[in-house]
Amino acid sequence: MKTFCVALLFAVAGTPLGAQADVSARLAGRVSPEIATLVRQLATSAAARGLPVDPLIQKAIEGNAKGVPADRVATALRALSGQLDAAAAALKQAGAAQPDTDAIAAGAFALNAGLSGQNVTALALASRPPNSVAATLRVASTLAAMGVPATESVELVTQVIAAGGTTTEVLGLPTQVMAGVSRGGGVTPAQAAAGLARAAAARANAPGQQRPRPSHP
Amino acid sequence: MTDFHPQVKQLLDGEITLADLPPELRAEGEEALRLLAAVDREPVTFPALDASVLAELRRRRSKAPSLWRRLVAPREVRLRVRPWTLVPALAMAAALVVLLSRPEPTPAAATVTVRFVLFAPEAQQVALAGTFNQWDQAATPLVRTGAPGVWSATLTLPAGQHQYAFVVDGARWVADPGAPAVDDGFGRRNSVLSL
Repeated sequence: MKTFCVALLFAVAGTPLGAQADVSARLAGRVSPEIATLVRQLATSAAARGLPVDPLIQKAIEGNAKGVPADRVATALRALSGQLDAAAAALKQAGAAQPDTDAIAAGAFALNAGLSGQNVTALALASRPPNSVAATLRVASTLAAMGVPATESVELVTQVIAAGGTTTEVLGLPTQVMAGVSRGGGVTPAQAAAGLARAAAARANAPGQQRPRPSHP
Repeated sequence: MTDFHPQVKQLLDGEITLADLPPELRAEGEEALRLLAAVDREPVTFPALDASVLAELRRRRSKAPSLWRRLVAPREVRLRVRPWTLVPALAMAAALVVLLSRPEPTPAAATVTVRFVLFAPEAQQVALAGTFNQWDQAATPLVRTGAPGVWSATLTLPAGQHQYAFVVDGARWVADPGAPAVDDGFGRRNSVLSL
């Protein structure tokens, strides 16, 4: 009996059970029991590997809200779990021993938006304070979602950061690209992004402009 | 108060002897030594005061609750350590460590006010669902604006990335035509908002 009590105490104290309880509470009444079970399994496994669980919960809730069949939700959840793993691996390639969950979630989103693992690594390497890795990845993936090719998205964000761009400047890049397209003249998102990247590169190479040293996430 | 000659003060301090004083100061020195010898060095006591203070302390102590007296009374305590009784305590300590080592809630993130607009002239109702409201299509209804067929809602959202879609007439999920979009994993598109 004493052994049981001790084991129970250790079990309650452990994080996996606590995390499972949190996942269950968030899914309660929002998804089917089979999807809830799958999310708990994936979340427990993800948490053990240092991956975020919130994107999995959100995707399950989204699938249910949209009336998507359970098997299709399960497929999407497994795909997302794979993207989280791939994003974490890409961030580790950039030198982060244990990337933060926010950056991993942003990396997974970037992969879903069309960026590659190498793009994610390059953006993580280019990122430096005050621009967080997560914010850098989000901006690049938003550009990709707008139709800017992955390479040009990475180039634009990297050049603006290298030129000493502030957080506001980096976050404003999608709006600037959209403004360039809206001006007319048949300018595509890729052309607008390339123009902004050239301007940033010129600013970075201007006399007296100090290029910040790269930092790891 | 008598003000003695400095050399007499040296005498009182024991720095010189009476013989060291010049003849004209010897009388003053002898007087000073006499006065010093007359000082009563017995300790000053007030028997009546001591007795009354002790009596008051005894009276107050007798008024204190007996439980308190038992708690504060000194006693001998013997501790016998049984290793197996430490296990639950260690488990509790581990639980406390886990609880206390959990990261503190992050400070409130910066927020941005956003206006969502959809042109849907045929719609009877339009709602907004996304990561910011747990995809709950009942949480954020859009309202008709002054312009015909234009629906809008204004939200204050935390900085970061949000995915969303409009829900037209409770059934049709529509991506925002004015925003970038990504595959939602279910064969549709989610609009993306980076703040």
